[in-house]
Amino acid sequence: MDGLIKAINLLFGENPELRQIIAVTLRMSLISTSISSLVGIPLGALIGSREFKGKHWVQRFTNTLMGVPPVVAGLAVFLMLSRSGPLGSLKLLYSVTAMVIAQVVLITPIMTGLTATIISIPAPRIRETAQGVGISTWRQMGLMIYECRSQLVSTVLVGFGRAIAEVGAVQIVGGNVQYKTRVMTTAIMMQTNMGKFHFAISLGIVLLVISFGINALVNYLESRGNA
Amino acid sequence: MIVLKDVKKVYDERIVLNIPHLVFDLTKRYALIGVNGSGKTTLLRILAGILKPDLGEVTSTSTNNMGYMPQSPYAFRFSVEKNVAIALDKEQVSKDQVLEALKAVGMDHLQHAYGNQLSGGETQRMALARMIVKPRNLLLLDEPTASADIRGTSQIEKALLKYADDNNCTLILSTHSPAQALRLVDEVLFLDEGRVIEQGPAEDVLHHPKHPVIQEFLDHWKI
Repeated sequence: MDGLIKAINLLFGENPELRQIIAVTLRMSLISTSISSLVGIPLGALIGSREFKGKHWVQRFTNTLMGVPPVVAGLAVFLMLSRSGPLGSLKLLYSVTAMVIAQVVLITPIMTGLTATIISIPAPRIRETAQGVGISTWRQMGLMIYECRSQLVSTVLVGFGRAIAEVGAVQIVGGNVQYKTRVMTTAIMMQTNMGKFHFAISLGIVLLVISFGINALVNYLESRGNA
Repeated sequence: MIVLKDVKKVYDERIVLNIPHLVFDLTKRYALIGVNGSGKTTLLRILAGILKPDLGEVTSTSTNNMGYMPQSPYAFRFSVEKNVAIALDKEQVSKDQVLEALKAVGMDHLQHAYGNQLSGGETQRMALARMIVKPRNLLLLDEPTASADIRGTSQIEKALLKYADDNNCTLILSTHSPAQALRLVDEVLFLDEGRVIEQGPAEDVLHHPKHPVIQEFLDHWKI
């Protein structure tokens, strides 16, 4: 109880580290979700809307990537960015950019897979109707994305939720450096290990509030999409 | 002219369409009649280029401006007006043209309604407006009145006949109704198990059928 009171005081007080951690978390999650959406949604729309040879294999591959453990993705990005790795000369390890890269690797397959599933439901009817009127393939894809817009916004929010709650990959490539790459999840883990529960609790409250907000928004958009 | 030569379509080892030779003269109007699963939709899809035959070839002349209306056309989640306007290129879009097409099918009063809130019959009328909003020389229609009531059917038929006359447009439609075929077309092709079992002037095929399957089909329509 004492820890909770301290946590609430900390949350509404002036703590530069806490604010910095929240800011880095939001920046990292927003950038990685945006990049993943820009790549994953069109790719998913393409997979979901078209019939092509090897589609089953592409879907299986995407589904496999959707389930990659975050620490494995983090390790892969770490090896790529480490000094002796192929991208070592960029000196990105232990930076927010490296964390964004790891998150994009993790979230893009999720966005792609979910988008493909969402689009594949109305796709045959939209395609037949649009082809019958003489609408180009690209415009057909645009129409499919437009028709599924509320579900796709939910997909983006799911991606954001995954990004903000992720800990394994960002810990490996970010290193949890104070005032630089420390985010809410890695900070909670560290502060708990150090016994500073009030700091961990206040960050936990912020994470919970954000998660609640995202869930509420997803539910609202899904109910609007079904209307 | 559209010519089909040795066209075959197979689904799961079942031959759904088998047409050794078939010619559509684009100065005439055709109805494809047959029971469910007789190959009407497959034939229309192949003619529209939406489906590729597994064997054989389809050659056509002067059908570069065709329209195909599926049996369950999709109604987009935007206004009826916009649903019709998607058939036009952006620079072509004219509100009057869209309204005129909607009027022709008796849907002008629903121009601001949302496409996904229409009934099945209204969706078919809207889809027909989408077809006739611009001049075409061939319309392929898969059971265009399947979801419409008597009034809706009459509106669709009137709009189709006027459009075909005004634009010198060939109609190839599938239907279960012999009466509708008699009202709309010159020739009837009766399909059974993927084959054309009889073809000829609508009056001849539907009033004096030679094939027992057609007679049996027509017997169901007697009151």
